[in-house]
Amino acid sequence: MKILKLTLITLFTITLTGCKKDGKTTDSSKDSLSGKKDSVVVQEFHKEYYGIYMGDFAGKEMITPEEGEEYEGDVYKKISLKINRITKDSVYGQSIVDGNQRPFRGVFNENTKSFILDEPGNDKTDGRFEVSLDKDSLTGKWNAFNKSAVKAPVKSLKLIKKEFIYNPNFMLDENSELIDWENPKNFVEKYTDEETGKTEKYTTSKNRIASDAVFKINASKQKLTEKDIKNLRKLDLEIIKNSVFARHGYSFKKATYRNFFEQTDWYIPVSNNVDNDLSPMEKENVALLNRFIKYAEDKYDSFGR
Amino acid sequence: MLLVKKNIPSLFKILLIIGFGYFFWLMLKITLEYIPLQKEVSFLMIKQTEVVQRPEYLYFFYTHVYTSIFVLLTGFLAILRKDVGLKNFHQNAGKTYIFLILIFSAPSGIYMGIFANGGILSKISFVILGGLWWFSTFKAYQLARQRKFKEHKQWMWRSFALTVSAITLRMWKVIIVYLFHPNPMDVYQIIAWMGWIPNIILIEYLITKKYI
Repeated sequence: MKILKLTLITLFTITLTGCKKDGKTTDSSKDSLSGKKDSVVVQEFHKEYYGIYMGDFAGKEMITPEEGEEYEGDVYKKISLKINRITKDSVYGQSIVDGNQRPFRGVFNENTKSFILDEPGNDKTDGRFEVSLDKDSLTGKWNAFNKSAVKAPVKSLKLIKKEFIYNPNFMLDENSELIDWENPKNFVEKYTDEETGKTEKYTTSKNRIASDAVFKINASKQKLTEKDIKNLRKLDLEIIKNSVFARHGYSFKKATYRNFFEQTDWYIPVSNNVDNDLSPMEKENVALLNRFIKYAEDKYDSFGR
Repeated sequence: MLLVKKNIPSLFKILLIIGFGYFFWLMLKITLEYIPLQKEVSFLMIKQTEVVQRPEYLYFFYTHVYTSIFVLLTGFLAILRKDVGLKNFHQNAGKTYIFLILIFSAPSGIYMGIFANGGILSKISFVILGGLWWFSTFKAYQLARQRKFKEHKQWMWRSFALTVSAITLRMWKVIIVYLFHPNPMDVYQIIAWMGWIPNIILIEYLITKKYI
């Protein structure tokens, strides 16, 4: 019986290694195929045009104010167009608006120095960019593919080529507005009219405001200790943490942070994920800040410690 | 009217019992967050400097967290002096209360006070609180052994007022944050003192006026 078991186990093991080997051979054949592809180098042109072009993305939209009627007004957003590759037939790159990154593919006309760039079309906000290059600027227009699906189906662009450089010294400008308009808290307050003696209730919104700690603490340059951040409010902690990501060009999805960092002259949103770009010190600081942010969220105004 | 007047003390007592029951439930919920034992849960999230640098910190912390809830309960039951049909209920609840405070809750509290958040002023407050808590409980124990029950009662009220500071400290926190939204450690410095000083003032007043 023992010998039988041993034989079975040995046979089984051999079978396994056999499977593995087969797997390996399949892979290497795959490799050789793709290897063949790579050996044909696709020629790239006009590499001097590669880069990030950033600026205003403006369109007319119907705006509904809190009081009054709808009116048509200009809405400005910030857009980055990243041109990654120009080959003989095609141009490849990405557009980033409001934290939404969409790839595009298009053509470059050498005579008119203009691009026609199309987003994929499977997202309702996709469209076509038609822009011309003049030295360092890209200007033109954008049309949505699905005109009824977006608020502003026609938009204009005025972009300038920007160098994205990582600089750990970048901070929020000291003249920045530090109010978070995106997350107001509503309070019901009572008001007694002195003349009539009536007491009315009304709802006010209060907004969070950051302190000047956000100008003093740089999570990309100093190793933070608990002591440094223990007395900071949650908004301060969030800004200090997100400054790290802003410095690396992270494109924020939350309007709160977009509003804060777009006020600077150095913030260029170039990527949806910069986690791998953080230095070890930055990663540790972010982990520490996250812990304190969570604690502030759970405990600041509740009965617990 | 006379009936109402007569019943006010018992009405008051009932309200106190309900009030204590509610806050005891809140404290129990907090205690349950610490089960199972973890290094980074809840309050410990902002004490990692101490947890990492001092290997004994977690022992003192969890001793305090796991015993204090029983201190609250036994203290309340003992001080009520209600006849629940069990023999020597007051003495047994009382002995548990005294034992837990003198051996576990107060010493661990004093240790934690040395590393309290909020700077030197908070640390001083919590260490004094821990010391007074231990001392008043010990005095009350001594006096019971000596059968000096009137003084035993007075010192136990002092002890229990300090026990209840766990609840009053958190109540003040909610109120102050709601009204003023200060920075977290600024709140902490205030409640470190507000948590127990008004309590002890109240008890001393009641003792002086011979209500206790």
